[in-house]
Order: sequence, then structure tokens, then C-alpha cells
Amino acid sequence: MSASVLAIALAPALAPAPSALLAASGAATTCHHVQLSDLAALAQVLWQFLSLSLFSLGGGNTLLAEYHHISVEQFCWLTDSQFADLYALAEAAPGPSSMIVGLLGLGAGWKEGLPWALLSAYGAEIAVLLPSTLLMVLACLRWRTLEHSPWRIAFERGLGPITLGILFAVGVKIVRTADVTRAGQLSVPGVIVSGIVCLLMLRTRVSPLVFMALAGGLGLLGIINR
Amino acid sequence: MASDDAGTALESGSTAPVPGLAELFIGMLQVALSAFGGGLSAWSQRIVVEQRRWMTNEQFLTGLTVARLFPGPNQINMAVYIGTSFRGLPGACVALAGMLLVPFTLLMALGVAYFHLHELPAIDRLLAGVVAAAAGMALSMGFRILDQYRNDRVALALAGAVFLAMEVLHWRLVPVVLISAPLAMAWYWPRQQVR
Repeated sequence: MSASVLAIALAPALAPAPSALLAASGAATTCHHVQLSDLAALAQVLWQFLSLSLFSLGGGNTLLAEYHHISVEQFCWLTDSQFADLYALAEAAPGPSSMIVGLLGLGAGWKEGLPWALLSAYGAEIAVLLPSTLLMVLACLRWRTLEHSPWRIAFERGLGPITLGILFAVGVKIVRTADVTRAGQLSVPGVIVSGIVCLLMLRTRVSPLVFMALAGGLGLLGIINR
Repeated sequence: MASDDAGTALESGSTAPVPGLAELFIGMLQVALSAFGGGLSAWSQRIVVEQRRWMTNEQFLTGLTVARLFPGPNQINMAVYIGTSFRGLPGACVALAGMLLVPFTLLMALGVAYFHLHELPAIDRLLAGVVAAAAGMALSMGFRILDQYRNDRVALALAGAVFLAMEVLHWRLVPVVLISAPLAMAWYWPRQQVR
């Protein structure tokens, strides 16, 4: 607790700079925390993830902006910086990074104690995987007829550019969520590091874990802060 | 699918007998454990095709195509493909469980540690840095697939419109996809002699 209080106390010392960009995403948060031990609330939360499942185009990362909307803006389970932390955790940990949904579920139920947190974590992860898994099973069984269908060709070609647009929007969203001070202002060193890492991800084959470790060092030194 | 290949398997000297549910689970668990530190799809190819010889390389690559085409995380869809190919829906569930059980448990442990510790000043400062790198990774996702659309103006316009709808108009993903997908599919509908 003391850390965030300290950060909030120190933050206004920074210049009230490019916050105009952030206003739309940061300010309009008027949500109520949902008690997940109320089963109806839990069901509503699971429904959110169930209904998003079939929209996870291009490998699942297209859903990140929606995950942010649900967990920060709609149900306020998490703050912006907690969401960014969990995204980094899911990226750094071994296994598919789409397991971030489990972490969001964990955060959603955290205030109600560990059993509920784990229940909502497993529930959310299963909910987001179930519909796409069922569709994938159907697709595998019917692939021979699907393979040369015009629907498949149009779907593959048409959804590509849409995925491209979504991924850019998601990237900008994550940057605006991650590189922000507690006062809601863009952290310039953070944005610079994000830009450099983005470039290096595209130009080199260095493991992202290396970049995360180096940037973590910059954070410890106080060069990147929030 | 595997039964069709029984005849050709002898010639190419490749595929092993169809794996049972327990074998599927253990195989996927092996993939998950080998892939600690990354390279999940490379490991699954190595284990499923080369080591256990459940599929030919061609079947595996078909799976990758399907996994990328359909909604859902690619690596998870790949596990579903492998499971379904041999044992239908139960196979898919078992393969998924094998692939996710260990990483997900580990991630939950990390998550619990995070929620206990994230307010410590040192952890918070460390994460402030790590998060900037992670955001850079997120930003690179779009650029990674940008190249293939360089000469397709319609695709770029479509991507730009989708970006603006989400970023400037703050539309949610579902309406964006429901409106743009039919338009895009109509534009890219294969005309006459494709193939």
C-alpha cells in the first residue's frame, strides 16, 4: 500500500503533459466492483469471456483491448497498471500468453479470497477457450470440405487486414496502459523503451525475456517509473 | 484421419499407431514441459512428428493452417487439432489439458505471488520497467504482419478504418468485426478461376 500512496503523492510533481490522449481511456471509469461470490455476477463475468471467444482472431492477441475494457473499465477488477503488470507476467511466463485470462479471473476474485479467485481464474480461462475449441473441433472434422470452399478463402483473405488493424489498436492501447504514471500521464522514458523494444523485436531474434529483464533493471534504477 | 494414412504410412515409414487418450495427454504435457522458455510450436512439431510419429509433417502443417485460420490462440488450436485428429472431442479436451495444466498452474502461482507482493516498492519499480518492454512487444505485433499487405491498398485502408474505429471512436471489438468482416469477405470473395 505504502508504495502506491507514495507514488500518488509524488506524481503531481511531474509536468501535466500529454494527458489529452489518455483522457478518454483513463477518466471515464465509473464502474462498480462486482462481488463474484454472488453466483449471478460470476455467471455474468463468465458470459463476457464466453461471448468474446469466437472473436479471437489472429492468434488471440486481438482480444487484449477487450480484456482491458472488461477488467479495468467495465468491472474495475484491476487498475491500469495492474492490467499492464498481468500482461507482462503472461508474456514472460512459459506457455501460451492467452493464459492472461486466468490472471484476470484471479484478479477479479482476489478480494473475495483465494478459493474464489482460483475458481474465477479457471472459470474465465475455460470460458474463453470453450467456444473456439468447439469450433476448431468442427473445423478439423470438416476440413476436407472446407479447404477449397470460397467461404474459407474469403474468410482468410478478408480477416487478415481486420486483424492487422486490431493488432495496431491493441498495441497502442497496451502502450497507453503500461507507460503511464499513477497520475495518469504518459511516462516518456517508458514510451521510449517500448519503442526501442518494438524495433528490436522486429529487427533481431533476441528473446523478449532479455528485453524484459533489461527494462526491469531500468525500472529498479528509477529510470522508468510510474 | 489417421486411418486413411495406414496404407501410406508403410511406404514413407512414418506414422505410429493412433495414440490413446492417456498418450495424447502425456505427449502434450511433454510438449508443454519442453517448451519452457519458448518455442512451443517448434517443440510440438519435434515431439508429435519426429519423436512420437503420430503425424506426417504434411498433416502437421495442415494443422497449423487450420489453427491460424480459426479463432482462438494458435498454439491451443494446434493442440485441439492434434487431439481431434485422433480421438475427436475427448481427444481435443485431453490434449488441451495436457498442454495447459502445468503452465497454467505455474502462472496461477505467479499471479498469487503478484497480488500478494505487487505493492512492495521494489517489485513495483521492477514491474514499471518490465511493463514498458512488454508494451513494446505488444506494439510489434501489428508491424510483424504489416509487410504482407504492403501492395494491397484495400487491405491497408481496411486496417486503417478498423484501427480508427477502435482507437478514435472507441468502438468495441465485436461490432467492429461484425461490420467489417462481411464487407471484407465480400471484397475478397474468390472470383471465377481461383486455384
